[in-house]
Amino acid sequence: MGYAVSLEKFQTVFDSWRKKYDVYAPKVFEGTGRFSETDVVRYGKVTDLADIDWNDRSEYSFKDILLPLSQTLLYFTEHGMTESEGPTRGTIVFLRSCDLHAVKRLDYMFLENGPEDSYYKRVRDGLKFVLMGCDHDFDGCFCVSMGTNVSTDYDAAVNVRSGGFEIDCKDPELAQAFLDMGAAEADVTPDAVMENSLTVKVPENLTSAVAKSSIWDEYDKRCIKCGRCTVACPTCTCWSMQDLFYTENGQAGERRRVQASCMIDGYTEVAGGLCFRKKAGERMRFKVLHKVLDFKKRSGFQMCVGCGRCDAICPEYISFTHCVEKLEAGMKEVSGHE
Amino acid sequence: MIDMNCGKLKKNAFRVTKNRGVTSARVRVPGGHLRADVLGKVQEIAETYGSGEVHLTIRQGFEILGIPFEKVDEVNKALQPIIEELGINQSEKGRGYDSSGTRNIMACVGNRICPFANYDTTALAERIEKAIFPNDLHVKVALTGCPNDCGKVRMHDFGIIGMTEPQFDPTRCISCGACVKKCKQLSVEALKMDKNRPVRNVEKCIGCGVCAHACPTRAWTRSKTQYFRMTLLGRSGKKNPRMGIDFIKWADADSVVKIISNVYAYAQKYIDPEAPGGKEHIGYIVDRTGTEEFLRWIMKDVNLPPKAEIYKPLYWDGIRYSGLK
Amino acid sequence: MNNSYMPFRSEILEVIKHADVEYTFRMSYDRGDTHPVKPGQFFEISIPKYGEAPISVSGITDHSLDFTIRRVGSLTEEIFENYVGGHFFMRGPYGNGFDVNIFKGKEIVLITGGSGLSPVHGVIDYFADHMDECKSLNIISGFKSPDDILFRDDLKRWIADGMNFIYTVDAAPEGYEGNVGLVTQYIPQLPLKDFDNAIAVVVGPPMMIKFSIQELLKIGFDEEKIWLSESRKMCCGLGKCGHCRIGELYVCQDGPVFKYTTVRSFID
Repeated sequence: MGYAVSLEKFQTVFDSWRKKYDVYAPKVFEGTGRFSETDVVRYGKVTDLADIDWNDRSEYSFKDILLPLSQTLLYFTEHGMTESEGPTRGTIVFLRSCDLHAVKRLDYMFLENGPEDSYYKRVRDGLKFVLMGCDHDFDGCFCVSMGTNVSTDYDAAVNVRSGGFEIDCKDPELAQAFLDMGAAEADVTPDAVMENSLTVKVPENLTSAVAKSSIWDEYDKRCIKCGRCTVACPTCTCWSMQDLFYTENGQAGERRRVQASCMIDGYTEVAGGLCFRKKAGERMRFKVLHKVLDFKKRSGFQMCVGCGRCDAICPEYISFTHCVEKLEAGMKEVSGHE
Repeated sequence: MIDMNCGKLKKNAFRVTKNRGVTSARVRVPGGHLRADVLGKVQEIAETYGSGEVHLTIRQGFEILGIPFEKVDEVNKALQPIIEELGINQSEKGRGYDSSGTRNIMACVGNRICPFANYDTTALAERIEKAIFPNDLHVKVALTGCPNDCGKVRMHDFGIIGMTEPQFDPTRCISCGACVKKCKQLSVEALKMDKNRPVRNVEKCIGCGVCAHACPTRAWTRSKTQYFRMTLLGRSGKKNPRMGIDFIKWADADSVVKIISNVYAYAQKYIDPEAPGGKEHIGYIVDRTGTEEFLRWIMKDVNLPPKAEIYKPLYWDGIRYSGLK
Repeated sequence: MNNSYMPFRSEILEVIKHADVEYTFRMSYDRGDTHPVKPGQFFEISIPKYGEAPISVSGITDHSLDFTIRRVGSLTEEIFENYVGGHFFMRGPYGNGFDVNIFKGKEIVLITGGSGLSPVHGVIDYFADHMDECKSLNIISGFKSPDDILFRDDLKRWIADGMNFIYTVDAAPEGYEGNVGLVTQYIPQLPLKDFDNAIAVVVGPPMMIKFSIQELLKIGFDEEKIWLSESRKMCCGLGKCGHCRIGELYVCQDGPVFKYTTVRSFID
């Protein structure tokens, strides 16, 4: 059911949601940017509607809500282990269409690829999604190319309008607040971008043979292996296990997982020092082909959702989309040899 | 024949040159930052009144060359829009600069442009400009955005180096090690990895902000408060050139401005009355009065933040030419 | 909640020292009924505070599992220092492992490098007990030096059991009487009668696998009949952490045992 409400009324709805849910949304973190006196837009808990940043694409995605950058899995003593506590409340996430499509990728990895991940599931089960309608795209968005520009699989969707908000609320529990206030009903279709200025085409004949092409070589020197592209990406899910013991009590500690990146040193290093993909170009190839080839081979759908964050965050101005564009030439190059 | 009061001419920011009857006009640019239309005005003056040549000065200004003495008044009138645009304090419009003793405040490009700078050097240069100009006493101030010191501020009486106090959020750290690596490569090795997390040695850290710049996740960020390292009494010159030494670290902007402002009363009181042209490097005055007396004057009414540390003892060395004490 | 990351405790029953840096730990295991273990599978073994490491099973009995561990990282350092009367935590088994049925009735060739002998140890044990179930069992095992030779007692027993077991070292001090040289140089000597009925498994470091397979193909082996076990940085064992992915495959889920033809086109 759709509603059209004023800012004040939507604030009332928001407040009633917050009684039961923690709400996460893109917001401005002042002064925490890479450069002095610059801000970062990333996900954080919001307690007021006004905290939500509707005007930007967040520099980092929503994914840390489901896969925290650092997450304690187990507490241990010498003799046994205890599971870390899960969330006690549900969570509402405000996110855009590309990110809602990214949830499907995360679900595939954590719920389907191998056994179910209980730490993921315990958060996922209590999650509700509020789609933030996009009435325009941002620099470098290519959601239309990746087929992620329209979402229907939301609990609620919000369009920002000059006089207030339009909300399509599918979830009965979230809708209750609108019913309670007797909000005016309206026909609401979430805003969606139907055309991007950037179009990205993954070649239809793409195979892993492109790995042998020379298109990757330039990144050996250009890429600094910082991993920002993967940290910002809503579909990158790699992590590493870490144990630590508490300094005050060397017999107790915790086992945690922290996000990892195939772009960062140490990712493939095995005990004994053997390491695959030392060169940045090899890492770029591994990442890019996962996004537009390997993941799809396994799951049946593309991994990349076209949010454009990797391009926007790269300090060396390396463009993932430009690299995808080069794949066609790469395929020509390798098929010529065979 | 020409009759020219050279003292007044110099005070008015013109140079007595080797070419008889020919002067040059010196235009200060506080913080080295200006709108491009000033360049057009400089060009116009140079072509209308001078030889058409301009020298870019060491202290971020223009020296408009080849101006005949008789054109000085006209040049001062023509300089007026530049003086106003650059926000220079002035007692009387159309008469050019009031003084040339205190030198242009220099600054690196700062955080409006540079990714490493920890503060807006241009804005602070303008603030100090407002506080200390015009003044006949010979004082040199330079600002630089970070401890890389591209502004070479240790060659000045007061060097201002931007610092930040790195803030660490362990929940955002992914143990990538970029901060530790960069601190080691570019800075002072104040970070080390312990139990998969960087640990900052507070004593070693110089607040350069390289960690915050390197961090891919925003686990390291800069402090909301901006801090400064102040260096003291560096100088070039014939007698005893030397680098400025550390004076205060983790100072705040208010204290920086206050300390620099305070130096004038001290210099006024203790300057050598026989000093040529009434100008003497502050450092030579301090050599006479002793550091304690100097500090007593410049620290008057200065309220440093609790974090600030004053270096002790203060000792300068520098180049000692043979036969000079 | 079914927590796949929760390890169980396992007592150290016995420690067998092979070389200075390589021990076999015999660990209690009573979950065989619900969680049967195959050779070539691995467990994530941990001592709290030192983290987890993927270790292949090198021996399987009804109530115990063997793990042969090289002293290479901080975890394995700790394991070596503190084994006496101790316990580990572990979770698993993970990976596909070897299905002994695919070897039955065949001329079997196993080529291993260093610790690569561990994952096939169980296969050898099985056929040592059931020599009638295969046509022949030919093993070439390479080690760095005489000091690095693993499973010395087993080697003697296996050779006595009548299998064609060649073990060789890359380099040896003067006067060493055993074989010296890379495993590849022994491949042409394999006494195979019928390549159609032969099967080969190669386990070891990447370079050793690459050159061994080249050699097998050279002597006429059918590429469809070559298997290998990939060693990657396996971290979660559950297809979640991503470290062991090659192309669309996850070594911990789809391997570590692969047909050569499946993975030959993959580039790390």
